[in-house]
Amino acid sequence: MTTLPTLPTPARTVAALVRGYFPRLLQVRGWVCTLLIVLPVALSLGLAALMHFKQPNFNWGTQETLIVFHKVLAQLALPILVLVAAPAGIREDMEQRTLPLVLSRPVPTWILPFGKGLLWFGWGAAWIIVAVGGLAGLGADFASLPLMAAALVTAFWAELAFMTFLGLVFKRGTLWGALYLLIWDPLVRIFPGNLQRFTFIHYIESIAGSRGGAVETSQLLAQQQITTPWPLAILVLFLFGVLCWAASGWKLQRTPIGLAGAEAEG
Amino acid sequence: MTATVSLERASLRYGDILGLSPTTFELPAGGGITGLLGPNGAGKSTLIQLLSGLLPPSGGDVKVFGEAPFRNPAVLARIGLVPEGDRFPVGLRGHAWLRMMGELSGLTGARLDQAMASALAAVGMEVNGKKLFSEMSKGMRQRMRLSQALLHDPDLLILDEPFNGMDPESRLQLMDLLRQQAASGRRILVSSHILGEVAQLTDRILLLFRGRLLAEGSVAEIRELLDRHPVELRIGAESAQAVARWAVEHDELVALRMEEAGAVLAVRNPRSFLPKLQAAVLSGELPLRSLDPIDLNLDAVFQFLTKDHA
Repeated sequence: MTTLPTLPTPARTVAALVRGYFPRLLQVRGWVCTLLIVLPVALSLGLAALMHFKQPNFNWGTQETLIVFHKVLAQLALPILVLVAAPAGIREDMEQRTLPLVLSRPVPTWILPFGKGLLWFGWGAAWIIVAVGGLAGLGADFASLPLMAAALVTAFWAELAFMTFLGLVFKRGTLWGALYLLIWDPLVRIFPGNLQRFTFIHYIESIAGSRGGAVETSQLLAQQQITTPWPLAILVLFLFGVLCWAASGWKLQRTPIGLAGAEAEG
Repeated sequence: MTATVSLERASLRYGDILGLSPTTFELPAGGGITGLLGPNGAGKSTLIQLLSGLLPPSGGDVKVFGEAPFRNPAVLARIGLVPEGDRFPVGLRGHAWLRMMGELSGLTGARLDQAMASALAAVGMEVNGKKLFSEMSKGMRQRMRLSQALLHDPDLLILDEPFNGMDPESRLQLMDLLRQQAASGRRILVSSHILGEVAQLTDRILLLFRGRLLAEGSVAEIRELLDRHPVELRIGAESAQAVARWAVEHDELVALRMEEAGAVLAVRNPRSFLPKLQAAVLSGELPLRSLDPIDLNLDAVFQFLTKDHA
């Protein structure tokens, strides 16, 4: 018999997955992800240009830009981006029943969720940076752009990892993720004290700058907003993401997945 | 020398359902082909999933190359699996996917290029391997599945119903390829629900039925077992009495049932009975209009064997 090849390391496994699945980014789901994050900014730019054309004195101010960032990108576009991208990770292989082909290779199983997720994280993060760059055209303060980009990229990292974990734990992980991101997270405004720290929006606002000024007195249930220092907020989102990728790897490592895609009792 | 595969009362449950009863057998070290035979639902795929490390046993021990294969890269590096089913990642091209599978097996650089070229050539997919999976025929996709299993030069090749959906020419090519692989020192396990397919490949067969290893032996031994199963033949003839008169003269007849347009014969050892029937028809002794084997399927045979072994 021939000599055996060296077993693939976790880094090589990730590199192979990223290279192998890269064409998936250039297909429908990949472009939907791009549009989700870039289109709102592009439309805003188009709208601003149109307004400027009709009323030469019209200029979008920092406040309008913050609304686009917080209300559209952070609270709407980002969660939907995560809900579209996460199922294309390891969950896709489970649903297409192609995962056993990968599981039959001599790879460290625990790295697979991260390997597939990293591809989509890289793609989404690149377009987030493009979209935030576009906010400059709307009149955003240049100095605030790096933190805005950092807020969305780290939140995307954490939310994608969280969704991947939910996808491995629950059969309807996307549903639970949608409930968390679209129902629980926006309630941050009425959460008292430290409960706000259990939302992604709290950290995004802590990093990119508070939107507190936009809370109107008519919002009777609104609570006093707490903040986390932005370096700490970035660290929390990053570590939460790492924790979720690790938990996903642990879950996959322990879960027997057969050819039918079903779990079997071990 | 350590056996290639060794099961010691290995069993598998899917929740409340028993997929494989406690099973014990060994596949010896060295090259050769072993057939895994059984009707649909017999537990063949379950056994294959245990051996290929996809599922851990619920009880007992499964050893491949002396180690438990579940989530064990050192063992998986020596196994090539061709699973049943036409499933591939959507939107990928064959050769790009094959490259990824090679990298996931630890192959890199020139060695990977060489392995890919060799695996694609072995299955005749040098040109068509560049297509998207969605553009390939079912037969081509089956060849791609086989190529990924050969890529890393495994010592144990496991194929689950590899002939399903293949045209006769492709079947013969695959059989040739498997014989070559076995001759080069690989141990090959091929599952099928068709005895004829397995018999063309190997003389060593494992018989599975309803999650139980029913028998283990040579094709001749298995054929002998199958010959003891009475096969029902519906014979259409102008005169049912003439059929009955002819049939009762033969030792193979177990039961006879008269029908309006003929008779149903239950016969043992159809391999000796059918030539006699043919000769009688040709000589005009038997006025036969139609011949319809009622239960010549493996499932009926296995049910018979189960009762026989009970």
